[in-house]
Amino acid sequence: MDIPMTAPMDAAGDVAVHVRKLSFYYNQSQQALYDINMDIRRQKVTAFIGPSGCGKSTLLRCFNRMNDVILNTRMEGDILINGSDIYKEGVRLEALRKRVGMVFQRSNPFPMSIFDNIAFGPRMRGMKDKAVLGEIVERSLKQADLWKEVKDRLGKSALDLSGGQQQRLCIARTLANDPEIILMDEPASALDPISTAKIEETIQVLKEQYTIVIVTHNLQQAARCSDYTAFFYMGKLLEMNVTGRIFQKPSVKDTEDYITGKFG
Amino acid sequence: MAARNDYHRGFWAEGVPFIWISGMAVLVLLAIVIGFLGLIFAKGAGHFWPAPMAQVTLKSGSSVMGPVMETEAIPHAAATRSLFKIGNRDVYGLDFRWVDDAAVEKREYPPDAAVIERSEYGDMHGFIQALREGGAVTARAGPDFHPLLEKKIARAAHLKEEIKKAADDVEHAREPLAKLEVDIRLLEDGSEAGTPEAALKLEKLNAEYDALALKLGDAITVPEQRIESLRKELDAPTLEVALADGQVKTMPLKDVRAFYLPNRMGLSAKAGHYLCKVWDFLWTWPRESNTEGGVFPAIFGTVMMVFIMVVIGAPFGVMAALYMNEYAKPGFFLNLVRLGVNNLAGVPSIVFGIFGLGFFIYFIGGGIDRLFFTDKLPEPTYGTGGILWASLTLALLTVPVVVVATLEGLAAVPRANREGALALGSTKWQMLWNVVLPNSMPGILTGVILAISRATGEVAPLMITGVVKLVAELPVDAGWPFLHLDRKFMHLGFHIYDVGFQSPNVEAAKPMVYTTTGLLLVIVVTLNLVAILLRNRLRKTYKGAAL
Repeated sequence: MDIPMTAPMDAAGDVAVHVRKLSFYYNQSQQALYDINMDIRRQKVTAFIGPSGCGKSTLLRCFNRMNDVILNTRMEGDILINGSDIYKEGVRLEALRKRVGMVFQRSNPFPMSIFDNIAFGPRMRGMKDKAVLGEIVERSLKQADLWKEVKDRLGKSALDLSGGQQQRLCIARTLANDPEIILMDEPASALDPISTAKIEETIQVLKEQYTIVIVTHNLQQAARCSDYTAFFYMGKLLEMNVTGRIFQKPSVKDTEDYITGKFG
Repeated sequence: MAARNDYHRGFWAEGVPFIWISGMAVLVLLAIVIGFLGLIFAKGAGHFWPAPMAQVTLKSGSSVMGPVMETEAIPHAAATRSLFKIGNRDVYGLDFRWVDDAAVEKREYPPDAAVIERSEYGDMHGFIQALREGGAVTARAGPDFHPLLEKKIARAAHLKEEIKKAADDVEHAREPLAKLEVDIRLLEDGSEAGTPEAALKLEKLNAEYDALALKLGDAITVPEQRIESLRKELDAPTLEVALADGQVKTMPLKDVRAFYLPNRMGLSAKAGHYLCKVWDFLWTWPRESNTEGGVFPAIFGTVMMVFIMVVIGAPFGVMAALYMNEYAKPGFFLNLVRLGVNNLAGVPSIVFGIFGLGFFIYFIGGGIDRLFFTDKLPEPTYGTGGILWASLTLALLTVPVVVVATLEGLAAVPRANREGALALGSTKWQMLWNVVLPNSMPGILTGVILAISRATGEVAPLMITGVVKLVAELPVDAGWPFLHLDRKFMHLGFHIYDVGFQSPNVEAAKPMVYTTTGLLLVIVVTLNLVAILLRNRLRKTYKGAAL
């Protein structure tokens, strides 16, 4: 097994995402990521931290190929998810994005009912059976800890929910797809502390079943809920290790400066 | 220093003069709109109100009777003159007459002055004196006269209906015979005419015809006799009317549609009469080369044309915009297409009309005729103006508006919604169909609203693609296939032009122009309101979707 540049990782747990020599360019030539190598562990929470513009969101969006939407981008290197190259020719994006779900910084519920929002993914794959959809919706909402609050108004517009509820709805919507990996791009940055705490609780429950990658600007959040932390700076992965190590005894000077608040 | 600074802030920095100027602009706009609408409705709304009948005796001894339409100063003289609607076009030749107020001996409002609405020659103004039947007087002006007259008029209307029904029966019964007649005529005049086979066939058909005629016999003759007797009853009663100048006119009662005595009517009677007339205006066919009667076929034609245009044009524009915004590769060519679409809106509408005539009517319509209606040629079916072609021409005319509005609507859909759908594993098309299109619906509807407004008021391109002055049938009726898109149609905009400028009776047409314009405006506003309500409902659904 390849070893990431910094990490004496503990036990050889299996790898969910395997990133090899990844470089990424916007507008064909403006490089955003430099030669990233990393392994993301299955059923663990991995946090990406680093100052704004360091490329952590770009890397996250490589995992479900959301960057394909942006014109004039280019990627070099490989990403293997559970052993299969996701940038290989013939990979169906729909299938990939079903396996690798994503929750965005700003909650983005569709202007539909709560039920329709959750059932969106399965429906797009042709699921029509109302009973099955109902089960999926209930399970997903329960997993996202939203069921109790909305079970009586599934037919109501999702836009009437509060900000925190909307974000948990988006998590539930992703869970309805029964993904293997969940990518979270600063999922709590637009939320109040109570809603943030709820999201973090949810993450703790979800990691029993799913591999979670979370991008965050909130260092406490990374410290609280992640198992591994990767520190990015200027498009480079400077350090990746178990979260405790990163926060207590980082091996790179820049990491220490960042987490102690000297820059960033 | 401080004072200068304050002045600077207070006056120029806060833009006081510009606020005033922009406020003034709104005021002028408001004045234009209110003035325009006010003029139209003030002139148009009074048309149906029963005006009092004035009878003036002139110093020369003659007498004129009718409602006063307007009074104006005589140019270059210190006197006024009044325009009387004297009616009785069949007697005087003109409906209207100017009378110098100085030449008037006395003016009075005789309570028995009647307006008789006729199916021909416009109104008759006079005093109804007697009802005759076959020469003998059956009733004279008196207490029970008017109710009796009304009953008789209703009876006449009923008789007309019955005659029409009986005539339909005859036609229906004769249908097989009519078919045979066509076959016989074809044999007689067709290419085979004169050959021995044709003669043989002809003989056979003639025999068949005679046999059928004999068999049908009663089915035809019974309703025919009924028509005969009904006609007799209808033609019998006549009305004797004394005109203001003393002449006595006799007219068949069947020509009378209604009569009323405006000088005897109270306010409520007048209001009732007014509502009746408005109702007639909205729901009946025009008469007297469009200067009287209703505009129902024009309303129907206008609304139906706009409807077809929206049904065809809106999806077309939305699809085009969708491709341009979502699938086409941005670059020189796409910009060229955008430029073209934007500039299409500036092409004069008559050019669209000419294009419609050349492309839709002659090319496509002519092609349809050659393919499917060969038996009717050279009589065109689709190869001539019709509501379908007019609607398509207008769809073409308004499609740029829909495209531009849709492009804006699509661009306004938040990226978060698009990415959210994609991240859930939907294909691009599923994302567009389920999230982006519904989300841009308010924008699309704005385009449709603008398109409706433009199309409803457009006349020039219609004049060469299927609008006519008067139609006998609507494009929708009970006859198979119910929807007759090849038919010509009437349109309120063209109706205004026709009544106002092509009418032989200009004075009579004038109020109709205002009334019809008012109606057209009401229809435009109504169509728009429907679209706006729809848009507001959608906006409510999508409120906050952008976050």
